[in-house]
Amino acid sequence: MSDPILRARHLTKTFGTGATEVRAVDDVSLAVEPGELVAIMGPSGSGKTTLVSMLGALLRPSSGQVQIDATDLTGLDDARLSDLRARKIGFIFQSFNLLEALTAEENILFPAQLVPGGMAAARPRAIELIERLGLAPRRGALPRTMSGGEKQRVAIARALINEPKLIFADEPTGNLDTRSGREVLMVLHDIARDQQRSVVLVTHDERVEDVADRTLWLVDGALRDRKKTVENWVVDPVCGMRVDATAPEFSLEYHGKSHVFCSHKCLERFVAGPEKYEEAKT
Amino acid sequence: MLKWALKELFAYPLQLLASVGAVGAAFSLALFFQAIFAGESDQIVAYIEKSDADVWVMQKGVANMHMTTSFVWDWKTRLVEQLDGVEAVTPILYLNTVLLAGGRNWFSFIVGLAPDGARAGPWAMAEGDPMPEPGEVILPAVLVELAGIGIGDTVSIAGKDFTVSGLSEGTFSMANSVAFVSMTDLSDIMSTIGSASYLLVDATPGTDKSELAGRIREEVEKVNALPGETFVANDWGLAMQMGLEIIEIMTIISGTLAALLCGFTAYSHIGRKQGEIAVMKALGVRDRSIYAGVLFQVGLLALLAFALAVAIVALAIPVTANFAPQATLRITADAIIKTGVAALIVSLIASFVPLRRVLRIDPVAAFKT
Repeated sequence: MSDPILRARHLTKTFGTGATEVRAVDDVSLAVEPGELVAIMGPSGSGKTTLVSMLGALLRPSSGQVQIDATDLTGLDDARLSDLRARKIGFIFQSFNLLEALTAEENILFPAQLVPGGMAAARPRAIELIERLGLAPRRGALPRTMSGGEKQRVAIARALINEPKLIFADEPTGNLDTRSGREVLMVLHDIARDQQRSVVLVTHDERVEDVADRTLWLVDGALRDRKKTVENWVVDPVCGMRVDATAPEFSLEYHGKSHVFCSHKCLERFVAGPEKYEEAKT
Repeated sequence: MLKWALKELFAYPLQLLASVGAVGAAFSLALFFQAIFAGESDQIVAYIEKSDADVWVMQKGVANMHMTTSFVWDWKTRLVEQLDGVEAVTPILYLNTVLLAGGRNWFSFIVGLAPDGARAGPWAMAEGDPMPEPGEVILPAVLVELAGIGIGDTVSIAGKDFTVSGLSEGTFSMANSVAFVSMTDLSDIMSTIGSASYLLVDATPGTDKSELAGRIREEVEKVNALPGETFVANDWGLAMQMGLEIIEIMTIISGTLAALLCGFTAYSHIGRKQGEIAVMKALGVRDRSIYAGVLFQVGLLALLAFALAVAIVALAIPVTANFAPQATLRITADAIIKTGVAALIVSLIASFVPLRRVLRIDPVAAFKT
């Protein structure tokens, strides 16, 4: 087993003192392996954002230790923490948080300037990410003209541009419709599986449990592990969405092959003209 | 980071325009004031410049004309005339006094001309004869217009009445206009006999002016002699020195105003962009880079405002000449450099205003926006 990319030991964060003291995170220890997608779930006010802020080198813990890629954050000053975030961490936010004056491509390339020599190396990567995330027609668009899904894909590309080993996503589907949200989750899933990057997802979205390798439940600042699930992701032949084949809600045998659908509507469409979808597939 | 700062600044064109306009107005105030003063100083030395004497001779200890009294005896005029390299000597009498015209007092340089002293008289005439006879005065055309009088009307100089016989051009100044009378009349007013105030010396072709001035100082007792350019520079410097404190105060006031406007613009801009700055910090941008971006924005704002101010004043010069002929404006390189330096200082000071706000933005806020 490889060394964890992220390790937290006895992490605690308190705000206020005396009678007003609040323990937002209470003695949390965890480790995230390379390529692992970990979901952190919990009710509002359970300390998710505080925990992810400490894990992401944005907030200093009251006690405990965080290690990212074997670097202990405890002794690092603000400038070194900034450098570490630029090189090793990608952030994806619920509100997308794109820089409004910059185009999609400029937003994607923005973190590259924070790494010495990063800009030259990042340009071909940006082109690849733009293609992969279906942003090619929107590369010159300003955020105010983009849909929520487009913005979030730009934010994902921005998080990946410096090829970080660790990605934190805070409610990445929170402001998206069902379809866009599912697409974003699949992209994050692929990033972890195909590129061996570790993804830590903070969310209320229970669909995340379908794609996460592990779900951690945070209650009153303390963590609880959840069982690992096994998925087998396949593509709905009608709409192209990813669907888990291990527990299909809508499926059909046709010409000896099993097809899985995201909804009853897709199943109906397939039944109405299966040849069309079979041809498209081939 | 600079790209973000640049695009961010131009992302709100109306706001940028308002800020540049306000700061530019502050800078143009300073430039405008300096231009008025430089123009007025030009007019103060206009007579010396346009007379175009190679060497000016005056009483020993005197080195300029403005606000000065000088006496040179007639026999010294003849001594100067006899020196090698001297082609002609034209004596003038000079008095700095008040002229009463159209019911108003006008501070004026009164030049008394000898009958053969036309070369020391007005260099451009709008109307009338350039040489005043006894009892006559040649006044600046602008002064006559402002005073509501004309040729043939009477004005008073030091209690003595004169008839306006000619109107000269390029001789008006809000501070001191130039009026020409006969030497006899001015001699009466000044109660002088057998003396001039200054001698305008024309050198023979090929004569070195500085060398001639030096020779006059050596060979004629108790006089000072200066090449024309030095004499002009002395008077111009004196005029500028008299207004230096006012210019400095105006520059400080307008500079402070510009700094406050720049600072307010930067502060409110940072206020609106707190969320984005938090995101940038979260992504790994250091505080100093964000500050560099703010400095760049404020610097660019000040630069644009400075360019606007120069353009405003450059446009104001011909407009002012049409609508207020009594005012003379000139932008000097010195004024532009001074205001440019002020713009630089302003942007540095202004960029410190939002610094604390930038430093206090918590990157964790990126999760809350």
